[in-house]
Amino acid sequence: MANEVFMPKLGASMESGTILQWFKEEGESISEGEMLFEVMTDKVNIEIEADSTGVLLKKLYEVNDEVPVNQVIAYIGQKTEDVEGLMKESLEDERDKTPNDNKEDHNLMPFKEREKIRATPAARKQARDYQIELNEIVGTGPRGRIQLDDVKEFVNKLEPDVKVTPLATKIAKAEQINLDEIKGSGVQGKIMSEDVRPQRSRVGEERREERIQMKGIRKVISQRMIESAFTAPHATITTEVDMSAIKEMRQELLPRIEEQIGERISYTEIIMKAVGLMLKKHRIINSSLQDDYIILHPNVNIGLAVAAPDGLVVPVIKECDQRGLTELTEVTKGVTRLARENKLNLDQMSGSTFTISNLGMYAIDAFSPIINQPESAILGVGRILEKPVGVAGTIVLRPMMALSLSFDHRIIDGAPAAAFLTELKETLEKPIVMLA
Amino acid sequence: MKQFDIAVLGGGPGGYVAAIRAAKEGQSVVLIEADELGGTCLNRGCIPSKTLLKQAEVVNDIKKFEKWGVKTNGLQFSLEQMMGRKDQVIHQLRRGISSLLNANKIEVYRGFGTIQQDCSIDINLGDDQKKIHADRIIIATGSRPLIPNIPGLDQCNVYTSDTIFDINEIPNSLMIIGGGVIGVEFACIFASLNVKVTIVETEDRIISSEDDEASAELRKSLERQGIEILTDHEVISLSDSDIEFKAIIKDSDGNKKKLIAEKVLLAVGRVPNTKGLENLNLEMKGPFIKVNHKMETSQLNVYAVGDVIGGLQLAHVASAEGIIAAMNAGGEQVERDDYFRVVPRCIYTFPQVASVGYTESEAENLGYHVKKVKFPLQANGKALAMGEDEGFIKVISEEQYGEVLGVVIVGTQATEIISEASSYIFLEGTVEELSKMIHPHPSLSEGFFESANALMGNSIHM
Repeated sequence: MANEVFMPKLGASMESGTILQWFKEEGESISEGEMLFEVMTDKVNIEIEADSTGVLLKKLYEVNDEVPVNQVIAYIGQKTEDVEGLMKESLEDERDKTPNDNKEDHNLMPFKEREKIRATPAARKQARDYQIELNEIVGTGPRGRIQLDDVKEFVNKLEPDVKVTPLATKIAKAEQINLDEIKGSGVQGKIMSEDVRPQRSRVGEERREERIQMKGIRKVISQRMIESAFTAPHATITTEVDMSAIKEMRQELLPRIEEQIGERISYTEIIMKAVGLMLKKHRIINSSLQDDYIILHPNVNIGLAVAAPDGLVVPVIKECDQRGLTELTEVTKGVTRLARENKLNLDQMSGSTFTISNLGMYAIDAFSPIINQPESAILGVGRILEKPVGVAGTIVLRPMMALSLSFDHRIIDGAPAAAFLTELKETLEKPIVMLA
Repeated sequence: MKQFDIAVLGGGPGGYVAAIRAAKEGQSVVLIEADELGGTCLNRGCIPSKTLLKQAEVVNDIKKFEKWGVKTNGLQFSLEQMMGRKDQVIHQLRRGISSLLNANKIEVYRGFGTIQQDCSIDINLGDDQKKIHADRIIIATGSRPLIPNIPGLDQCNVYTSDTIFDINEIPNSLMIIGGGVIGVEFACIFASLNVKVTIVETEDRIISSEDDEASAELRKSLERQGIEILTDHEVISLSDSDIEFKAIIKDSDGNKKKLIAEKVLLAVGRVPNTKGLENLNLEMKGPFIKVNHKMETSQLNVYAVGDVIGGLQLAHVASAEGIIAAMNAGGEQVERDDYFRVVPRCIYTFPQVASVGYTESEAENLGYHVKKVKFPLQANGKALAMGEDEGFIKVISEEQYGEVLGVVIVGTQATEIISEASSYIFLEGTVEELSKMIHPHPSLSEGFFESANALMGNSIHM
């Protein structure tokens, strides 16, 4: 009996996943624990292992298909097994389960596509491979059915009649260059690799530019940044905090916590604790905009921006306000390490209500961070630097740290934002009040 | 004063090819050659050495056949006849060039030409002086063996690659100073004639401009042929006692020792021939004439090609440059790059070494993600049948697109089969096409096919 492979639900909030790549082809054998496919959610991309051993009998979805969670996407079984019957079963199951959903989807489709287009399976596959809409093709089969030859002929017309070397073909495909627009420099206008690789006009004389494809986590970051920067009107306010008291407090806590859990508490955890307490008080800062409602979150879950090898990730430390500094240190160090090793699971990255971005390890004073949607504010933490400040009429050196708060002005006005930041500053300067 | 469109100075593979091409472009052409037509290549280089190497190969084969059950009852050779055949080949090719020049109505002067500031050329014909003028000049004066600065060398009557072809007696021993292309080829010729050959090379390996695996493979083979190879050794003095030569050589640690040989061949590189060009005040690049991609020198209407401009000092490079110069001098606009994407480099030793494209380290330095495969000829049926299973075929490819970046072959007939690799690079075929193209069986070229399949992860015989 063949085993079904499902689109996994990788986190509480995950509704669907996009298949980024298949590591196995149909007919290839696979053993349990071997990587089968890579899936992208709205937060990360994750490689998924096969949970049974056998032959990959059938892939039901192609690369770039978005599939709802728990949907069957492939079958693994014995070579001789017939998957057609199984497929029918699971299709029927789906229909039983979600009759309404299907209807809804159907209604959303443009009228033209709703009409059933008759096409042979081979023609459908070919059209899909070339990313051609079937309704663009005229079928010549019985009752206008689209046949493989119809697709091929359509493709032939699409592909320009140009001479091009095999290498140039591959480069053009990878660089998504339309060969029709290229003037070939080879014999009788043949397109050579140099024609589609203009940055490298003369090998050796110029250094090549490097091209990194926007994919996986980089693409996710890009989309989320655009979404945030162009929907939420950002305003950033900054203040400076005298960190003398925190510094002292950390020195005292450091050996105690280290002895208990073997981790060294950093400023990040202390700031996180203070922020957690403040968010509890200033609930508007710990909110999200959903349609016409501002949602004030009951929990304080703080995301921490971490530079992972492939790009920025934001592990979430839940209920920061309720955890002691020892626990907070342990949890934070744990998820940060997982983040740097690309090992976070989706739940460890979901559900944050506010984010902290600490660039204090660099020579950065203040900056304007971009809000991690759907949150409404983000705190940027700068370095701690000894600066001359006036205290009771004299100039003394104090360890100063800048805090920058970017907030979504649709939700939060300047005054509440300023009140939050001011109280946060006061708390950090007199941490004893955290006990109050 | 006779007037021409184009004057070509030098009748080697750069010059005579340029002259013929220019004539075909409809220009009136004069060619001036101080010595014999065909230049170094035909008279003192490629052709005579390959003739002798063929003879050496036959000698080696006969020695080998003994073990295969083909007996010849004693092997004898006559150096005189061998040299005679070599001269015959040279004469026939020289006659060929001469008639080609004639057929293309190119006027040929056999004398030393000196270019004047006004682009007129004085030709010293021995008993006569001639002055001609041309609108454009193509310099193809070539190069000559470099005589290094070794104490005592000026007192010694050593051979260079220019004079070794006139040798009339087979010496007992031969010291070859220089383990480059010329040095190793002569080592093979003389080793086949039972001469005790010693190569002294200052670099840490022979044929140091080539792939290091090829270099190591060739060294192994040469040593098996009885050739002694001293790398990292420098000759610090040389003396000649009329019976034998005595060299003091020093290794990289400074240890000195004495080396005795009956004859000495110098093969340490070549210097450009720039005599007679002084009046042009050409801009130079080191000892060589500086040219641009159109083969133009710093002087308007003066072009230069071949060994005199440096780069790869190969006959086929000179000819290709000659064609570019001739076309540009004839009014066309041609750049060197259109022709020079692929230049095969061939060494006709036993086994041969041939390569094309980038070496591994060159490719890496250019930023390519290199993926390579080395196919040993021991796994090739044809090579085994021929009894020539030394060597390998190495394909260096780029990871993303499977572009063939370079190929190195060590083995019999490497210099012939390298052209398949050249074609792939020139026509931009990738490893993928190479892995699909059916190759004849049994053949040496199957090694390519096999390597390509290995690069695609589909090898059958590796």
